[in-house]
Amino acid sequence: MVKVFAIAKSVVTDAIRRKVLWIVVAFSAVLAMTIPALPSYGVGVADAVFREVAIALMYAAALVMALSLAVTRIPNEIERRTVFNVIARDVRRWQYVFATWLGMFVVLGVMLLAFTAVTVGIGVINYQVAMWRLFEASLAVWLEVGVVMAFAVMLSSSFGPITAAVGALAFAFIGHAFVTLLNLPELARAPWYIPNLEVFNVINPVAHGNGYGLVYGLGMVLAFLAWVSLLLLAGSVIFSKRDL
Amino acid sequence: MTTDTTQIESATASAPDAPAILIESARKDYGKAAGGRREAVADVSLRVSRGAIHALLGPNGAGKTTTLKMLLGLVRPTSGRLEILGVPADRPGARARLGFLPEAPYFPSQLTAGEVMELYGQLCGISRAQLVEQSGELLDRVGLDGRQKTLLSKFSRGMLQRLGLAAALLGRPEVLVLDEPASGLDPVGQRDVRNLMVELKNGGSTILLSSHQLSEVEAISDDVTILNRGLVAARGHIDALLNVAGQTSVTARGGALLPSAISDEITDVAVDGSTQVFSVQDASVRRVVDALDDAGWRIVSIAPKRDSLEDYFARMLENDPDPEPNAGEVEDTW
Repeated sequence: MVKVFAIAKSVVTDAIRRKVLWIVVAFSAVLAMTIPALPSYGVGVADAVFREVAIALMYAAALVMALSLAVTRIPNEIERRTVFNVIARDVRRWQYVFATWLGMFVVLGVMLLAFTAVTVGIGVINYQVAMWRLFEASLAVWLEVGVVMAFAVMLSSSFGPITAAVGALAFAFIGHAFVTLLNLPELARAPWYIPNLEVFNVINPVAHGNGYGLVYGLGMVLAFLAWVSLLLLAGSVIFSKRDL
Repeated sequence: MTTDTTQIESATASAPDAPAILIESARKDYGKAAGGRREAVADVSLRVSRGAIHALLGPNGAGKTTTLKMLLGLVRPTSGRLEILGVPADRPGARARLGFLPEAPYFPSQLTAGEVMELYGQLCGISRAQLVEQSGELLDRVGLDGRQKTLLSKFSRGMLQRLGLAAALLGRPEVLVLDEPASGLDPVGQRDVRNLMVELKNGGSTILLSSHQLSEVEAISDDVTILNRGLVAARGHIDALLNVAGQTSVTARGGALLPSAISDEITDVAVDGSTQVFSVQDASVRRVVDALDDAGWRIVSIAPKRDSLEDYFARMLENDPDPEPNAGEVEDTW
């Protein structure tokens, strides 16, 4: 695992110094500051609306960051031959794929943490309430976008950035909309092979309720681990069969 | 982790008498038969002895890059046997004692030189103390001392090349694969790299070198393999390839006219200012030297006639000018 952590660390260091990600965070924070200007829904509802819109912003920003990182990293490293130096150093292909995803996942976590902290601050200023539960939402968003990122990494280990981005967006869309698309009455009856990203949708319990609880959180983590493992395994197999 | 370590230990401990690099009947086809198969490497065999500098030459599309990629695990060979220090190249741990410098190396631009050295140090498994020691020493050796904290986005092409060389040398690898190591360097940098390669060889390292700078190859290589159309066109010791059998070069200067008595004995003349190099049959050397001496020429040297690698290479390609349409098309991607 030393090699995995070494590569992941270099991915984190390289990505976190890129201004574009911080610009996305800053832009999202500015948008979050405008949320209180939305039409009031009355006393007691305004802060819930703030939380709801903040979570939506959080998700959108995370998806933009995740795709900009995940769909370009491997194709760029192949094009610029950076990967040659790594693979030639006796690094297995799965180590490279997993480490690349891990590094980007950590970067995404840092960015989400920064955005959530700013959002909580905005909430305190506008509503005099510390909305700590937004961190629960950011965990769910982090896990979900981590899965989408794994799908993007899997695609980008064989295809170019545009195909990977379109594929990852389709994956995210289907993951949320398949219940509607397949006209399924209950989530539980969904086919196992369709990623049910709705398990990561915690807007209602976080924005309007008391959070999602530890057991539900553990379930999300399990779903995350299962899907990420499967997708990265597929990505590793695809990448290992590829001539560089 | 335990499995990896065990595999690496067993891999690196085996075959101490094996050549540093062994490639036998390597072949690489791209595409499927139905869609038009492209043969990048048809049949390449080479053997690099331990402690030697072996140059791999060839025109664009000859199959050099694909051959190196197969050795480095970047491309899966269609068939053939590839070994590094006696260990099959595709086995975990096979490249543990190998350093690689790709042509025009590139690194993540937001890392510093020190961070790149740390990354590659960890990838080749050296300890923190070794990393600190070797990192400083190697950056100094390639002329990047004091640049450890500089972001690579501020590095020039030549500086990246130097950094790539330093990274390749981390862990003191026994085998080095260098693809165009002097590319992008100024003349002083090229000389430094040449000296470094000789120094590494003297220290016991084996170097497989791919280069278009034939003067560099000629100056430092022990053995040469020339590829053309995915096949080995020539191979051997550099002297054996370049020495012209039965011919001697007589270098002389200062004379006015060539004595007519020996004009038929001279097969070729090269003029360099006031100095002339006469190519003569070995059996005629005595007569030619005496005649030149009598005519007032000053004899500078008498040596076995040797082609320049450039001439040899050009002649070889002239004799085989039409590459197959599909051979080595993938070369352009590296």
